[in-house]
Amino acid sequence: MEKRAIRPFSGDTVTLVLMIALAAMWILPTIWVISLSLRPNMDLMRSTAGLLPIPFTLQNYIDIVSVSMTPRWLLNSAIVAIGTTVITLIVASLAGYAFARIAFPFKRTLFVFILCGLMIPEQTIIIPLHAMITDWGMHNTHAALIAPRVAMPVGVFLMTQFFRAIPLELEEAARLDNASRLTVFRRIMLPLSIPALTTLGIYTFLQAWNDFFWPLVSATNSNMYTVTVGLSSLQGNFAQTEGLGFIMASAVFASLPVVIVYVIFQKYIVRGIAMTTGK
Amino acid sequence: MASVRLRAVAKNYGAVRAIHEVNLDVEHREFVVLVGPSGCGKSTLLRMIAGLETISGGEITLDDQVINDVPAGGRGVAMVFQNYALYPHMTAAQNMAFGLENIGMAREEINRRIAHAASTLKIEELLQRRPKAMSGGQRQRIAIGRAIVRDPKVFLFDEPLSNLDAALRVQMRIEIAKLHQRLDATMIYVTHDQVEAMTLADKIVVLSAGRIEQVGTPLELYHTPRNTFVAGFIGSPKMNIIDGKVAAITPEGVDVETPSGRLAIAAEPAGLAIGDSVRVGIRPEHMGVGKPGDGLAVVVEVVERLGDETMVYGTIGDGTSVVVKLDGTARVRTGETIPISVAATDGHLFTMDGEALRRTPAALEGLFDV
Repeated sequence: MEKRAIRPFSGDTVTLVLMIALAAMWILPTIWVISLSLRPNMDLMRSTAGLLPIPFTLQNYIDIVSVSMTPRWLLNSAIVAIGTTVITLIVASLAGYAFARIAFPFKRTLFVFILCGLMIPEQTIIIPLHAMITDWGMHNTHAALIAPRVAMPVGVFLMTQFFRAIPLELEEAARLDNASRLTVFRRIMLPLSIPALTTLGIYTFLQAWNDFFWPLVSATNSNMYTVTVGLSSLQGNFAQTEGLGFIMASAVFASLPVVIVYVIFQKYIVRGIAMTTGK
Repeated sequence: MASVRLRAVAKNYGAVRAIHEVNLDVEHREFVVLVGPSGCGKSTLLRMIAGLETISGGEITLDDQVINDVPAGGRGVAMVFQNYALYPHMTAAQNMAFGLENIGMAREEINRRIAHAASTLKIEELLQRRPKAMSGGQRQRIAIGRAIVRDPKVFLFDEPLSNLDAALRVQMRIEIAKLHQRLDATMIYVTHDQVEAMTLADKIVVLSAGRIEQVGTPLELYHTPRNTFVAGFIGSPKMNIIDGKVAAITPEGVDVETPSGRLAIAAEPAGLAIGDSVRVGIRPEHMGVGKPGDGLAVVVEVVERLGDETMVYGTIGDGTSVVVKLDGTARVRTGETIPISVAATDGHLFTMDGEALRRTPAALEGLFDV
């Protein structure tokens, strides 16, 4: 009897210790990065040991903000991330609705075709994409940074699956209620898909904000850098030794919006992951 | 006036014909119930009337206007769905207002109609709630309210009670019957539950495999089923069907020799000769315990005592199962053989194809006077 009573307790303890160890593995590098970002570069050239920012300085952050271009890069990132998110949501929800509910020729083929987009790595299309945008003379514009990111197969897939799961009767009831196709979409389907739209929105925003490769290729004018490209451009040849605190501060600074989005919307992110796994 | 007429209405799904040229008249203010087993096409037929399914052949008219190509919203019909189909993100009041907003009705009129429907259905306190915060019965009331506010020419109900528990189903059934009286509206109601059909309908349409088997009042279907399908479907528990051979033709009807005894049936022997195979139909409630040697010898297998009545499940000589409904005090034990008597005027006679032979005037006397 006694053994029985103790067992779950000891099991819980083991789980707890493991969880703490795992959490520490995840959190320690983050704390270290933050700590390094708050120490003077000169001090870091001697030693990077220690998790506490002693001596303490905000100079690295002041340097970031005082570089005249940073606000501009933040603005570019915001425009690109928000623009990408809004347009993706519009495209994915409309396409998803069509795939889920409207009969048209070659629907299945087209859907498979779109899903094939998931299998194509970004690196393989970057050169043709670059050539295409060059031909159109669109490099160094926000449109060039947004447009290639809008056709997101994952988004179309997610919205299609979500709309399919909404009972058909709701739409039929709406048809009997004199609702046009557009009214059904706007007043029934869209409000019901807010969880899916939120998930997709957050996912798209984070991807667009963190995007580095395509902005690095397309935005060659420093005025058009996004914050990821911009901050990386500030690194000199010997930055790893001479400006480690500054690099760390850049990393913290660039990930702040992402962290804020995660903190606010973590509930939806978890739900979204469950959704894409067919839960 | 709102009458619905179906003329040779058919529905194909690819090569499969789901509805076979159905003809049906639904008169103004009539309560018509479409009933049949799963997959018989009753819901499809209702959805064709609603405009939710295309029509492969024939014509549907509403008040003499052909509505084959009129979109669902323009037909002036309202439908109550099996799973309610309430918009989950809207309150009850918004659910009811949605259809009226879509036709551009003034807000005051919308509010007036919602208030009126809410008082009719006693759902005033639910108006600001969302479907999630309501019970099944409450949701069904809102769904009916959503139909009422539109003031439709025809109400369509697609198995509206099948998601409710037994007690609530009885209560809602009575409420729908009252609603029909109060609204004076034409209603078409689909169910697989023959009790709902019998209790609600002015006219029942029995469907099987996309064809109409019989149309009639509940009592017509009960007393004069056209075939063994209708006979088996209407009435609960279902009618016992026993195979036998014609033993004699008498002025009162036909005597049939069954594997467990001889039965006299008051049916017209049209075309029958002695020795022909026939089917005898006897409803469980028309059977009683007779004297030894009488009627059918039934071997009792299970006895269910329900208090006011006793259900006896047994078999006869050739192994055919029979159900006998006796009164609550019947002294019957499992394993014994009991003589079951049937009045000649209570029996039904069918050909081996399942077609009913007409019952004699003596058998029908007084049955439709109620």
